[in-house]
Amino acid sequence: MTVTFRLNGEDYRFRDDPMTPLVDILRQERFLTGTKAVCREGFCGACTVHVDAEAVPSCLKPVGLLEGCEVVTIEGLSAGHQALHPLQAAFEAADAVQCGMCFPGMVMSLSAFMRDNPDASRADIKAAMVGNICRCTGYERIVDTVADCLAQQLHTAKVAGGAGV
Amino acid sequence: MSEASATVMNLPRRDAQDKLRGRTKYTNDRARPDMLHAVLLRSTVPAGRIVRLDASPALACPGVRAVATGADAPGLYGIGITDHPLLAIDTIRYHGEPIAVVAAETEEQARSALAAIILEIEPLAPVLTMAEALEPSARLIHEDWRGYEVITEGGARTGNIAWEAKSSRGDVDAAFARPDVRIVESSFSVGRQSHVPFEPRVAIGSWEDGRAHIQTSTQVPWTVRNVTGRVMQLPPGRVRVTVPPVGGGFGLKFDASIEPITALLARMTGRSVMLENTRQEEMATCLCRENAEIRIRSAVTAEGEIVGREAVVLMDCGAYGGEQVFLTTMTAHTLGGNYRVGATRLVSRAVYTNTPPNGAFRACNGVYNTFALERHTDEICDFLGFDPMEFRKKNVLGDGDLGPTGQVFEDDVLGPMLDRMETLRAKTGTLEAKADGRLYGMATTVGTWFVFTGPSAATVNLNADGSATLVTSGVEIGSGTMMQSLPQIVAGQLGLSPDQVIVREADTDAAGLDVGVGGGRTTVSIGAASISACAEVKEKLLRAAGEMLQTRPEDLVLQGGRVEISGRPGSGTTIPAVVAHAQASTGPITGSGAFTAKNTPAMAGCAMGHFIDALDIPVFVVHEAEVAVDPDTGHVEVLAYRVVQDVGRALNPRAVMGQIQGGVVQGLGYALHEEVTITADGRIAQDDFETYRLPLAGDVVPVVADLYEGAPSLGPLGAKGAGEVPILAVGAAIACAVSRAIGKPVRQLPLTPPRVLRLLHDREPQPDFPHIAPGWATNTLG
Repeated sequence: MTVTFRLNGEDYRFRDDPMTPLVDILRQERFLTGTKAVCREGFCGACTVHVDAEAVPSCLKPVGLLEGCEVVTIEGLSAGHQALHPLQAAFEAADAVQCGMCFPGMVMSLSAFMRDNPDASRADIKAAMVGNICRCTGYERIVDTVADCLAQQLHTAKVAGGAGV
Repeated sequence: MSEASATVMNLPRRDAQDKLRGRTKYTNDRARPDMLHAVLLRSTVPAGRIVRLDASPALACPGVRAVATGADAPGLYGIGITDHPLLAIDTIRYHGEPIAVVAAETEEQARSALAAIILEIEPLAPVLTMAEALEPSARLIHEDWRGYEVITEGGARTGNIAWEAKSSRGDVDAAFARPDVRIVESSFSVGRQSHVPFEPRVAIGSWEDGRAHIQTSTQVPWTVRNVTGRVMQLPPGRVRVTVPPVGGGFGLKFDASIEPITALLARMTGRSVMLENTRQEEMATCLCRENAEIRIRSAVTAEGEIVGREAVVLMDCGAYGGEQVFLTTMTAHTLGGNYRVGATRLVSRAVYTNTPPNGAFRACNGVYNTFALERHTDEICDFLGFDPMEFRKKNVLGDGDLGPTGQVFEDDVLGPMLDRMETLRAKTGTLEAKADGRLYGMATTVGTWFVFTGPSAATVNLNADGSATLVTSGVEIGSGTMMQSLPQIVAGQLGLSPDQVIVREADTDAAGLDVGVGGGRTTVSIGAASISACAEVKEKLLRAAGEMLQTRPEDLVLQGGRVEISGRPGSGTTIPAVVAHAQASTGPITGSGAFTAKNTPAMAGCAMGHFIDALDIPVFVVHEAEVAVDPDTGHVEVLAYRVVQDVGRALNPRAVMGQIQGGVVQGLGYALHEEVTITADGRIAQDDFETYRLPLAGDVVPVVADLYEGAPSLGPLGAKGAGEVPILAVGAAIACAVSRAIGKPVRQLPLTPPRVLRLLHDREPQPDFPHIAPGWATNTLG
């Protein structure tokens, strides 16, 4: 079967078993190894990518369901010399990263969450992280960083809104 | 600028941006289209004899390029004793043990070819528990135990006891016989803990110019080099090990396991071969923190003086000795730590069973020995009517006190740390109100751990652009040492900024011997070796600058990338100018340095079978937990967690705080819900993320920590390792707090809701060890 979808802004055509998990195509065919295959069962979130702007675990996404979809991986979020996503920049500044293997998935999940939930509380952030496991950091610095980023986002929006009046 | 102010800073990590962009290539991201993939044939029984093994039919399968069995790598490896084959030879000792391996063009082809291997096993009745293994009539798990090579002398061993370490100081019988003491006895048992690093054990082997080259996700490149040499019967110098960024270790990768197999297959095929554990394999054969059984007795006076103590600690090493052989040592320093005790005797035994081998995990047996010691201390307080905080303040180790091996502790550290915890609590307040009708408990516990010193080497090359290259066998496992403390230390010594210090990742062909990244040792040991390398660099640099500036070298200082005349800022010249001068006149400026353990002595006759008789650098912690227990469900919520940690000197306080938060949360998993059980057929039952319950964001609280500085340390600028110890006393603090909340003795971990409910309703059987004899000496090999 042939499946055609957009991958990081380019057309990609796949011809093989439509049940192949997306994560295997990303890592083994496209060498996009920023997407991590850790549990391969949808628990850890390390393989999270954006499919049509929604965060999904790529280990649970058969490629046959991607016809015509827009897939963005961590490599596509801030490619080449492009600036980091504000959340990536904030994680770097906060010294949040340790071994780092969960972070591409964290960034993909939480960047979509921040876009959709600009008023989220700390409890909301923690609830949103139920599908992203980190074995190193004990989470709190990640939660703090997301909360700070949201506050910054809100502040920027207010300033921009104020300027428009 | 002082050495300290030039070094201490909250330097961010240089590897963060690539990790956040998904660009970092961990070992398991390095598959290439031209690589072969290896898959292991593993045992599906826990014990048996291999009657027939013929792997050659697999060679006829599509894509297969090589097969190997134990006969292809017959050397044995191990710690203390060599009892471990790379692939099973004649005997199966655990479920999941590798028996044969196939390398093929694709992983699928290799996996399919496994079915062609002819294997007949005559199953044996497995010995699954330490109680069974210690039966006088128990089958020997290693029939040839007498024939193994002993690498480290001194340990007693026999049959299913892989190793025994004892410490004994003073007349314990006399202490227990005193008329003015009361005797308190407690028994504890704990299960295993699985590390679950996000990157599993993985290696890529190649054969280059007659030598093996292994790229692997390890904490111990030199161990992988030496074990590969041993099992392949090659001089270890014919093995090169390099280490890409490691996706988490936590101690699991502190021993060699599957890495040498890739070198073996690379030699057979001339191709690069990748072997990566699947998540199921990784968890089913995890070198877990071992399950253990502990009996401890103390003789205490009415005034609260501990005049005598004895304990037996049984550690399940699984099918092979591994780290547990070494870790028997640590009972003296952990169960024997924390408190001033009169006469003491402790025995720690590593016991073989037909279960997957155990290994090292952050703070190792210290975690459960601290749980046992602190709960036992609370039981003493309950029984004799002492306030637990006052009892601890009165009895914690202080200046001049003796440990069980006769080690003399220096300085009062734990006492002032307990005071600091009270100050911290006064500042944060307590959260009893949040218990909201549930059962509330709070407990303060102490812990003793150490820095595993040992050999490290460093070379520093000073470059003509003013940068310095630090070459060591250090590995970045996530703790940040290679990204933060080491460049900070070198920069501080040479008057550079940390971004001018290039840190080379481990390559055993480039850097000298190193014990590995673990045991809280990297900043201390590699840091000290780096300082020693910098001293040589500095001496050469100042000599060259002295010639250029016509000034005596002792009047020159390194600062801000310049060589200046002391007391005259802006004078002198730049470091690049001096390096260029030196390169043209005397040659490039390099320095090398080394460090090793001081080998602090024990008292004669006090330590038997120990790998470390006394601690070069003790590390102490005080942990305090507040919990709420739901009496209907048995669920434990951690309301607050506070830490006072002895860090010597915090070189990067923000990074230390990150280690404390992460370590405490791993400890909360251990204390509350990370549970490993062994099935009737000897498997680890929890071999995926569905059955093994890791801490999630919603389970945790922000840990409030106070870094205690100034305790004695051999480390650079007085630093101690800060990444290992945060997990040490979490099981203890949670168990003591839950016990106080529910008013029942807690003697087992983890405290899962079903266990807490059983405790609440007096339906939890208390640990009882018929295989531990009442008389202490009966539990030793004499």
